[in-house]
Amino acid sequence: MNAIFRNSLNKSRGAILGWGIGLGLLGAMFVPIYDTFKEQAELMTQMMDIYPPELMAFFGDFSSITTPDGFLSIEYFSIIPLVLAIYAIGAGSRLVVGDEENGTLDLIAAHPISRSNLFYGRLAAFISAVGLILVLAYLGIYIPAQITNMGLTAAELLTPFLSMFAYLLLFGTLSLILSLVLPSKRMASMAAGIIMVADFFIQGFASSYSELESVAAVLPLKFLQRSGWIDGLELGWFFGLIGVAALFSLVAWWRFLRRDIRVGGEGSWELPSFVFRSSKKRALTEHAKVSGD
Amino acid sequence: MEVTIMTNGLTKYYGRFQALYGVDLEVHKGEIFGFLGPNGAGKTTTIRCLLDTIHRSGGDASVFGIDPAENPVAIRARVGYLPGELHMDNNTTGNKLLHFYNDLRGNTVDWNYVNDLADKLQLDLSRQVKNLSHGNKQKIGIVQAFMHKPELVILDEPTQGLDPLMQQVVLRLIKDMKAQGSTVFFSSHIMGEVQAVADRVGIIRAGKIVEVAETSVLIGRSLNRIFIRFENSVDASSLSDIPGVSILSQDDGTSMTIQIEGKMDALIKALAKYPVSDFETQRPSLEDIFLAYYEGGN
Repeated sequence: MNAIFRNSLNKSRGAILGWGIGLGLLGAMFVPIYDTFKEQAELMTQMMDIYPPELMAFFGDFSSITTPDGFLSIEYFSIIPLVLAIYAIGAGSRLVVGDEENGTLDLIAAHPISRSNLFYGRLAAFISAVGLILVLAYLGIYIPAQITNMGLTAAELLTPFLSMFAYLLLFGTLSLILSLVLPSKRMASMAAGIIMVADFFIQGFASSYSELESVAAVLPLKFLQRSGWIDGLELGWFFGLIGVAALFSLVAWWRFLRRDIRVGGEGSWELPSFVFRSSKKRALTEHAKVSGD
Repeated sequence: MEVTIMTNGLTKYYGRFQALYGVDLEVHKGEIFGFLGPNGAGKTTTIRCLLDTIHRSGGDASVFGIDPAENPVAIRARVGYLPGELHMDNNTTGNKLLHFYNDLRGNTVDWNYVNDLADKLQLDLSRQVKNLSHGNKQKIGIVQAFMHKPELVILDEPTQGLDPLMQQVVLRLIKDMKAQGSTVFFSSHIMGEVQAVADRVGIIRAGKIVEVAETSVLIGRSLNRIFIRFENSVDASSLSDIPGVSILSQDDGTSMTIQIEGKMDALIKALAKYPVSDFETQRPSLEDIFLAYYEGGN
């Protein structure tokens, strides 16, 4: 498992550095802007008063933008989790099926390593990669925040990142499980992406349309602490997201243990075999994709 | 005789498609077993069931007496495998790739032996995999299959993409593995190489084993083709009455090509009354036998 973990994490180096440094720099750019916002608090309040109420409802409470946590919530934590979810979805869908589709998994799986170790080694590498990206992003805000007048402590700033970590794990494992069920990683990414974007809009419109409230209440974004994190971590939300991610991981692992490893290319999607138990018709295309004969 | 690989009624379905229809196979310890069949016959499917990279649908299988479905890791630890469709991580060097595979094996590899293999195959392990030709990538695959001196080597089309000289090197490596006591199970549709190294041959056709025999026996018991030239024009049509003989071609009475199945005694006695100036027997190659199984649907 260690070899798989090290190899997978090593292959994620580019993504960790690219996303981590990119977000770190973005955060470092936002923090100095806060002082300007604070100095012009009165003007900001007047400007927000003329915004349409629907817009305010969609994007949340702008009134707190002159506080350090409110500013970061609106400018950074309202959108960055969604951006990072794109990485998590891509990485989750590639975690196993990526190497399967490019054909390299066949040889790796023929080595003396159990499927469980293969799966959990890669999952651990994914979790570590997400964690390292968030550490770099965290430092990008924390260091400049100490230089400027933001006055946020390390622990206070940790809260939204922990929440984001759980949210990203959920989408990563969701796309992982979808990649093991759907014919390709592209379809898995697309399906998880649709859920993520739909969640964003449903949460936004739920404050204006009460019909959506019940749906919004069970979607992942609801449990991401994009605001109010200065008061501490919502443990129920955090462990709820982590718990669902763990459940998705277990189902994905169970599925991985039971499926054939494809030689290359994308598979096709069929109804479960019991539906066709009486039929022994040949499906040559499927055979060629899976067997490699 | 100790059995290394055994399958009994091995079946495999891919969804609704049945790829294997009860494959029965025994590969003995220390032998080189050639597994012949055209594309889609079930060679790779059989191999992948043995390694449990795909799960069999029915029947029994064992490698070293271990069921692949029960303990695949124990089997893979003692097996070197070269896939038929070899794909490796391109963004690294051959050397790093082999270190990764060695890590997966728990660092059991003797690197002097790896370098020796690389030298024999004229392989530069310091180059990026993505910059290597298909043949050189195949060589990395061969090195990783042999590098831990496995008890069983499973090679799926090992010489594809290699030039004729390198093909010979690989066949020598296969013989060396046998000399060291390893068992070699390799699939191919190149008859010449199977004939050159295999002790026994199994032929698979449409998911079924149609023949398993020693290579020499398979060749020896088959049809012989004979070219006969006579000193004068003769009417030798009576030869076709001899059991097992069929006349394939006949010229102006001075030469003919016939095919005979079984013993030649009756034919030779019949020919004794004719003035024969040339008599040439052509033994069938493994390729002829293989094609006979397919073209005849036997």
